[in-house]
Amino acid sequence: MLEKTKDIAKQILEEKKAGGIFGLMRNRWNVVQPHMFEDPAELDALVLEPKWLLAKLAMSILRSSPENYKLAVVCRGCDERALIELIKRNQIEKERILTIGIACSQEQAAICLCDRPYPAKLDAGKKVSGVDPFQDERVREFLIGNDKKRMEKWATVLKRCIKCYGCRNSCPICVCEPCKLEDDIWVQRGAVPAEMITFHLIRAFHLSDTCVACGACQEACPVNIPLLYLQLSMRETLKEKYGYEAGLNPEVKSPILSVVFEEPDTDREYPAWINSLREKDGY
Amino acid sequence: MNEPRILVFACRWCGLIGADAAGKKRISLPARFRVIPVECAALVETDAILRALAGGIDGVAILGCHIGGCRYNNANQTAIKRMELLKDLLDTTGIGSNRLLFSFGTAHEDYQFEEIIKNFFDELAVLSPLDPWLAPFGVIS
Amino acid sequence: MGTKFTKTICPYCGTGCGLIIKVEDGVAVATYPDSEHPVSRGSLCIKGWSAHEFIHHPDRLTSPLLRKGDAFQEIPWDEAIPMAAGKLRETAAKYGGDAVCGLSSAKCTNEENYLFQKLMRMAFKTNNVDHCARLCHAPTTVAMAQTLGSGAMTNSISDLAGADCILVIGSNTAESHPVIMGEIYKAIDGGATLIVVDPRKTAVVQNAKIHLPINPGTDIPLLCGMMKHIIDEGLYDKDFVKARMEGFEELNEFISAWTVEKASGECGINPELIKLVAETYAKAKESAIVYCMGITQHACGTANVLAICDLAMLCGHVGKEYSGIYPLRGQNNVQGACDMGALPNVYPGYQSVSDPAIRDKFQKAWGVELSDKPGLTVTEIIGSAGKDTRTVYIMAENPALSDPDVNHVLESLKALDFLIVHDIFLTETAKFAHLVFPGTCFAEKSGTFTNTERRFQLLRKAVDPPGNAKEDFTILCLLGSALGLDFSYNHPGEVMEEIASLTPAYGGIRFDRLERGGLQWPCPDSDHPGTQYLHKDRFTRGRGLFVIPEHTPPKELPDDDYPYYLSTGRMFAHYHTGTMTRRSPFLNREAEKAYAEINPEDAIHLDVKDGEKIKITTRRGSIITTARITKRVSKGCIFAPFHFTEARANMLTNPVLDPLSKIPEFKVCAANVKKESQDD
Repeated sequence: MLEKTKDIAKQILEEKKAGGIFGLMRNRWNVVQPHMFEDPAELDALVLEPKWLLAKLAMSILRSSPENYKLAVVCRGCDERALIELIKRNQIEKERILTIGIACSQEQAAICLCDRPYPAKLDAGKKVSGVDPFQDERVREFLIGNDKKRMEKWATVLKRCIKCYGCRNSCPICVCEPCKLEDDIWVQRGAVPAEMITFHLIRAFHLSDTCVACGACQEACPVNIPLLYLQLSMRETLKEKYGYEAGLNPEVKSPILSVVFEEPDTDREYPAWINSLREKDGY
Repeated sequence: MNEPRILVFACRWCGLIGADAAGKKRISLPARFRVIPVECAALVETDAILRALAGGIDGVAILGCHIGGCRYNNANQTAIKRMELLKDLLDTTGIGSNRLLFSFGTAHEDYQFEEIIKNFFDELAVLSPLDPWLAPFGVIS
Repeated sequence: MGTKFTKTICPYCGTGCGLIIKVEDGVAVATYPDSEHPVSRGSLCIKGWSAHEFIHHPDRLTSPLLRKGDAFQEIPWDEAIPMAAGKLRETAAKYGGDAVCGLSSAKCTNEENYLFQKLMRMAFKTNNVDHCARLCHAPTTVAMAQTLGSGAMTNSISDLAGADCILVIGSNTAESHPVIMGEIYKAIDGGATLIVVDPRKTAVVQNAKIHLPINPGTDIPLLCGMMKHIIDEGLYDKDFVKARMEGFEELNEFISAWTVEKASGECGINPELIKLVAETYAKAKESAIVYCMGITQHACGTANVLAICDLAMLCGHVGKEYSGIYPLRGQNNVQGACDMGALPNVYPGYQSVSDPAIRDKFQKAWGVELSDKPGLTVTEIIGSAGKDTRTVYIMAENPALSDPDVNHVLESLKALDFLIVHDIFLTETAKFAHLVFPGTCFAEKSGTFTNTERRFQLLRKAVDPPGNAKEDFTILCLLGSALGLDFSYNHPGEVMEEIASLTPAYGGIRFDRLERGGLQWPCPDSDHPGTQYLHKDRFTRGRGLFVIPEHTPPKELPDDDYPYYLSTGRMFAHYHTGTMTRRSPFLNREAEKAYAEINPEDAIHLDVKDGEKIKITTRRGSIITTARITKRVSKGCIFAPFHFTEARANMLTNPVLDPLSKIPEFKVCAANVKKESQDD
């Protein structure tokens, strides 16, 4: 898979399809870091491990480069979906970005609890089957079970927050300027732990229909808060009720945002609970 | 728990009419609620709901127009879809979606408003408080 | 495309997280975490994420400055260096070498610290070199050297995750060392018990199983009470004490007076709780003690650390993979500055200046005669300014905010004949200087930092210095040469080779060996992989020594005139004197105004609401700051972070020193608080 990726990357540079390849480089001391490969000779140092999310970095590189500059990104499934979401939200121009899609291994899929460990445009590597996050023990502890116990569990873990903004900084979708979390009106400043309901739930809700479940938030969290789990039930609802998954198709916009006259399924019955959302249907 | 506090966002075309009517008839209601009129239920930011819950308010009610009756291009449909997801988020964290009440088109008579609010108060009164989220707990000191 | 990513190390706290600086056309624009880093593993705290923000601030010094009256005038380097050398030599000639003092920097690299102390010792035959470790972990170096033989963290940061019981004393780890707090949480997820001793209810307390809100300054009674209970119940590690310790009889006799009831009376904790904590600590398979300023910044700071060491050694919780003593060093390179001998009584590697054989070794290596008299500490240098101390060279330190009794510090700085300040911004201290050198920050130089777990880590240069600023290493080489010393180093790597040749513990440290992951000392030769934890089969001094910890109550307790306890410390968004963080927009927005924490009951009594102005007065001075009403502090206590120059908490603090390590008592003094009228 690595050799194939290098070949594709070399070809892209030689055929001038892009001005640079963005991926990971390993130097002679075995130190790995993100790197802009602009010289095909450098590509011998390209590596694909460890998992390093490059979508947000790619976006900032494109922003600061000239208008006709094209960038090719070596990306895993989650990265590609993040790039697609950024394209949908007009943060990246579609014409300026190319992807070299690589597949994740089964081990990586298990670590990330990923149900789609491969990009839609797969260039190197073999697809492996995804993992259903709802089968995982830890996820079930946090998402299913007695309400009161769950609230305490979430409270215990969210009380550790040291307000590093790492989740927001590393999330590829969190690109708003100004960010509501920095606004005094919404989130109290200067106090640790961060106000739980406002900081975390506002952020979680803002991502509700854009989260691609890449896990960058969890990985960046110094205190191991399982931030990804906050998003899982919303993603599930979108899948079940609207057949929508974030990041799969750049043409399909989120059902929450869609223009009303173009409802995805116009025959949809409105549930009887229009009166009040207290009656949960089959939950 | 102390008497619950409720924040009501009422859209001024349907929701507010019920609230006004109840007020005019001097219907007796529990005291701890406030009504904020909005142009349309879709204008209510979910962030505002979360901010209200973080500030100590026990329940938030959103009153809008019935489907097909929204003055603003069926914006209430968007509101419903959005609130559906918020329901999921609140359920995940155990806060519980029963702290949210939505009424789209069923609160524009005074007795309807009264019934909705009274039921909501009763429901909230038996819920465990949100305290664990807002204060430290479980520390032997 | 001018986009480059450079891996380097965070310049803020002693955790030493890995950073990746994104540089666009020579400008540092963003900071990202390093997924491969052995300590931070892809995460950073709020300061780490903002590490790039101050680098290109317009306030950066770009040229040497000479004071003319009240203003500063730019002068070229070839005027500044000879002038500095001349003035320093003049003072030494007139008053003797000991009238020249140097304050080295815990922010600068190991190589720079080594050159600084070498310069001072060689050129002026003095040992008057010290740095801000005096204000934070001096008790640790003194006390742990006495008991264990080595004053550094006994284990590695990641070892915390394997502990079964973690006792955090006097540390607000969640705000001061956030990434280390992450390791503690990992331990908790694995079933560990977290016990926190702190008069305040910090974020750490909110996540702890047991909280002991002791009265300020009563750590020794608590620890001695715990030890008595452990000895009485036979819970101490008898085999360990027999095989590896000295002095148990004396300790036992001393401890017998500290009954749990007596301890409880002093520290204000229920005796049953003290017993519970003692048993939990002793019985756990792997127990760790984590401590920081709440232990060291007292007039009995050294004794406090002795008590901690005694407790750990009593229960055999030292020298194991996860159990140990974890002093959390504050600055990014304070461990390194101490290791490199920027201290008045030791050469690099803690080799004593009074030892003739060691002095001989350095005299031979450096080619000059060296002084055998231990020098002055930071607090003594400031205290003797204008008297015995006439000229001071300060490198990247800010005593005008960080030292106690700031009014006195400012008077002292004014009393100096000549003050040279070498820094990246015109700090409050630099404003008193006669000559200012513009230095470089972490992103503009190469060199090494040593973090709190003894790990040498490599810095890589990401951007060029602004204007005519020179690398600190270069400035020291130029100054050394101007003073007639052979400081002809081409690159910091050469300095590291010299250090390795003179210091057995760092013998195997070379720049290329540090490229991936760094190395933890002791690392005696070039094949040695570094040392994860110390004292495995023997203590550094052979057998561990139990030393009696005499309790001294705080020197200034509340009375009728000053009825409140005042404590000072850190908060998460700013770093120390705020030179860098208050010039970082993101961090400054998080905490813009100076504040002091007050208990709600006190606030009602003083008729103060949240956000209103209050005046805090002590016998040293007064400040006006904003009130923050919170239950984190108990009734009768006030907490003020010391980061804010417009309300310098150190105006108020007590300069009384610990007799052994000379650390000031920052954590306790008596204060009075009044509401300040609101005319802004």
